[in-house]
Amino acid sequence: MVEDEKSNPSSSSTASGDEKKVPQPSPAPPTPPAAPAAASGQPLRPVPQPLVRPVPTPPLPPSAPPRNAGRRTFFKLIVALGAVLTLIPFVPWGDYLSHSVGSTGAALRQKVVIDNNTKYGSAAGQPVNVNDLSTFPPDTHWVITYPSSGNSTQDAQNPDTFVKFELIRLPAGELGGDQAEATAFVAFSKVCVHLWCSPNYNPAQGHEDYECPCHGSIYEIPDGKAVAGPASEQPPPTNAIPMLTLTADSTGQLYIEPPVWDVEHNGVIGYGRDYLSYVNYIKPEAEGTGS
Amino acid sequence: MAQQQPERRNLFSKLYHWAVDGLERTVFMGIQYTFPKRFVSPLGYLGMLTGITFLMLGVTGGLLMFYYQPTLTGCGSITCAFESIDRINNDVPFGWLLRSIHYTASNAMVLLAILHMYYQYFSGRFKIKNEVLWVTGIILGIITGVEAYSGYDLIFNQRAGLAIEIGSSLANASPVIGGGLRIALFGSGFTDFILRLYSVHVFILPMVMIILVFIHFPRYLVLDLPVVASVMGGILMLGAIFPAPYVPPASACIANPFLAGCQYNPGNPTLTIPEWYLTGIYALLRTEFDKFVMGGLMPGLLFLMALVIPFIDTSKKLNWRDRPFFTALGITSIAQILITTAWGFYINPDTSLPTLQRLLVPPELYFASMLGVTVMSFACTYAALRYIKSRERVRKAAAPLGPILTRKWVYVVFLALILGQVALTGLALLSVYGGTFGVGSVQVIFQGGLRNVTLFDAGAVLVTFGIIVHLYRYSQNLPF
Repeated sequence: MVEDEKSNPSSSSTASGDEKKVPQPSPAPPTPPAAPAAASGQPLRPVPQPLVRPVPTPPLPPSAPPRNAGRRTFFKLIVALGAVLTLIPFVPWGDYLSHSVGSTGAALRQKVVIDNNTKYGSAAGQPVNVNDLSTFPPDTHWVITYPSSGNSTQDAQNPDTFVKFELIRLPAGELGGDQAEATAFVAFSKVCVHLWCSPNYNPAQGHEDYECPCHGSIYEIPDGKAVAGPASEQPPPTNAIPMLTLTADSTGQLYIEPPVWDVEHNGVIGYGRDYLSYVNYIKPEAEGTGS
Repeated sequence: MAQQQPERRNLFSKLYHWAVDGLERTVFMGIQYTFPKRFVSPLGYLGMLTGITFLMLGVTGGLLMFYYQPTLTGCGSITCAFESIDRINNDVPFGWLLRSIHYTASNAMVLLAILHMYYQYFSGRFKIKNEVLWVTGIILGIITGVEAYSGYDLIFNQRAGLAIEIGSSLANASPVIGGGLRIALFGSGFTDFILRLYSVHVFILPMVMIILVFIHFPRYLVLDLPVVASVMGGILMLGAIFPAPYVPPASACIANPFLAGCQYNPGNPTLTIPEWYLTGIYALLRTEFDKFVMGGLMPGLLFLMALVIPFIDTSKKLNWRDRPFFTALGITSIAQILITTAWGFYINPDTSLPTLQRLLVPPELYFASMLGVTVMSFACTYAALRYIKSRERVRKAAAPLGPILTRKWVYVVFLALILGQVALTGLALLSVYGGTFGVGSVQVIFQGGLRNVTLFDAGAVLVTFGIIVHLYRYSQNLPF
């Protein structure tokens, strides 16, 4: 019945009233008996109808529908099923959108080299030695790249935050930044676990923490746990910044140990790290490879 | 059309009618064009002005594509994206001008779209049409915002880099589909980010917009040349006063990657306020509640509310005075958006304070102010409407104004305008070529190329042209 109403050209579409709208004569004859004469009489130039909703046609006599109705519903179902089946093979094609280029190759042990940025003075582009307290003084920070391209000048212009880490030599004293050991350094991810901005180390007295300039998350050193700001409101393990595991060889050269990118170990960049599990993770490591 | 047979005097007229008759059977004749004979309020055709701005953006954007490179690697030690912006801005003749026009027009389009929506809302005009037009309008508005966002990301300066990171991490933070959504929308790294945002910005979204505009298009289109010329000229003039964000030469950025305005460098980001249409979301995020709720759900709620308006406000009354609840609702939304946007701009200027303390939008204060402004808007609206009702009296129809200018003065003003246009055009050309071909002190003045004078002058010439056309139609209606 609804179908019949739609195919009836006397509906409000005649308002434009041009030859452009040639009403198709209904293919099937079951025209409602109350349809106006204009509907099928003069197909080329329909009489303009007043702009009112068409009066609903009175119900068809009960003898008309029974034989067709069931068959029509069945055919409609078949077409609908066909349409759904037609779409199904295309769904996996959506994978085209999510080709992942990251995380190729095995994680490597890498020498810590400061990005070659003129702002870093004598430390720019230099490999880090824990014994060198003049080039790498306590309470100072630089940016390093892991995995590095091998060229620290190229690394300095690499805008990909996900390979950037903040190397911080901890303040002297309680935190042991003046010790000639790998434990004097930490390397935090540059990707804030809140909204992926890039925090910076703030060496000012009373701060000595890792602060995000966008929404104000603050991570404490040396464990990288968020202590204030939006990141600290997030549930563990999404409230600690991922970090690299650092070791030093017998000459004092600082190395990045091959990271394990899950929350129990080095963390998932942009997501978080379970800082309690991490403490257990690095304990044997530090004893095994220490200088 | 063809039946009326207007007298065809010359070849030009013949050509014109040949073209118009040829359009008879095309989609464009479904629209009734109106060229107003006198000034009509532009409020009624703000949508058309938004469309004109869209065309301006299409033209300038297409030209910027000649030089822009949406890639990161392959241009030495600096990204191609930023290097090509530097080239457009500092090397290509008039590249800076196109950039400034494109930038200002994008802001103008967002603003015009918002004004268009609110005018339709308060005047009740949206009820004359139907829900589909309103809904497509809201979707077009959202897409306009996404266009603006994806556009300013392409510059790849610090603000762009941070905006990309926050945008992608917000997508990532949405429940269940988050990770997949982020990968699908933004890809997996900055190279993907820039390329995808580029494709979305220059092709996919404009295509979607053009298709939606076909649905959204009105049956009656007012084409008012004086106003169109003034809006375009105004955009040019504003582009001269507020040029697109400064881009230092690439060589300076290579020497000092942390230089302000240089390409995004995650090494040392500083506090950055986003574009004005995003500061609202920025303020919401700084309340430090859950990022998805504040950054996704809250703006989503606003859009949802806008979408369902024609299904709720179904009364037959059009005038805002007769719809107190919806008038108050509209005013509430304006007040809330203004306060949230302004709060996004406000950062405690005391740099000695910890960053967090400077940034924090205290949630209790924020939500209390939202509640307060809602109550206040409703109370004020109802009170004002009651006052207006009480003062309502029968107004006499105002006598139509007689002509302001006599024939003599029409000639004088015409002449003055033409002379002004000549002077402005001369100055515009002088600001371009004065440094090269000028003599003496003129050459010295224009040596550096007064870039923004050129742009401002061109805008002023357009506005003057609009005034001349207006005076022409005004003189046509004069009794002499």
